[in-house]
Amino acid sequence: MLISVNTFWTILLIVHGLLAIALLGALTHQAVAVLMPVRQAAGGFVTRFRAVPAAGYATAVCVLWILTFLMGAWIYTKYRIYVRIPIEQAGYWKTQGFFELKEHAATLGLGLLPIYWYFWKNAQNPEYDGARKSVTVLLAFICWFNFLVGHVLNNVRGFGS
Amino acid sequence: MITTTATQSTPTARAARATSSLAASVKFKAFVVVFGISVPIIYVLCEWFNLPLFTFHPATNRVEFWWGPARSGEGPTMYWYGWTVMTVLVGTVLGLLGTLLPESMVRRIPLALVWLLPVLAFIPLAYSLMPFWTK
Repeated sequence: MLISVNTFWTILLIVHGLLAIALLGALTHQAVAVLMPVRQAAGGFVTRFRAVPAAGYATAVCVLWILTFLMGAWIYTKYRIYVRIPIEQAGYWKTQGFFELKEHAATLGLGLLPIYWYFWKNAQNPEYDGARKSVTVLLAFICWFNFLVGHVLNNVRGFGS
Repeated sequence: MITTTATQSTPTARAARATSSLAASVKFKAFVVVFGISVPIIYVLCEWFNLPLFTFHPATNRVEFWWGPARSGEGPTMYWYGWTVMTVLVGTVLGLLGTLLPESMVRRIPLALVWLLPVLAFIPLAYSLMPFWTK
């Protein structure tokens, strides 16, 4: 074998993290764009951050969510044995509880993708403006929550442990 | 640059343009609305009543149909995969059934449900994790 088993799973974890970062960036841009739409071009960093063509992110967000989800689901098989058991033995119950909530959130987010995509592909329809904004902000919140929980768990027992 | 969420034309003109044929389909709208509403409900039911489509035993890579207990010497069990697949499958079936609904009925479904139900789903899901919060 060219790489060790540990290295293999570490690479998968890093890929999962990188996909999550790309998703986080896309969703954050989009959420800020729907919460504070820019009416005219301006030069500041924050304004430029808000002024993205948000509709163009929809398909990429769906693809990234699914890829991140699948990578996470794959890693989860090893997490259950090599991470969760030591975390429980160390008594980090709340940390593990937040991981459980993260897996629930990831599935609920997965279920939102079809309607999210539909809303954004009909971004010209004002009937969907409110729901599109709420779904986008909810997905961004879930993404941030899952990212931070995953990051903390990696600090507790992740790369190199 | 102007974000696409800004109102750039009249509502009627905006409503006329979907950016793909799928997004312009009435049946697809019915599917995504019913699917979006069904998923949080089904997932909470699956989690609450422990109804996975299958159980995965990660130590032995064994997959068992429906719910299976942890066996001595075989390590822990994982139900989340089974809940997720069950949720997606049942949600897809309900979504497909939703395409049979008349358009007027689909239009009456409050769109707020598609984001409100996932938010509300966190309450029973977080409550079910009480042992983790109270240890």
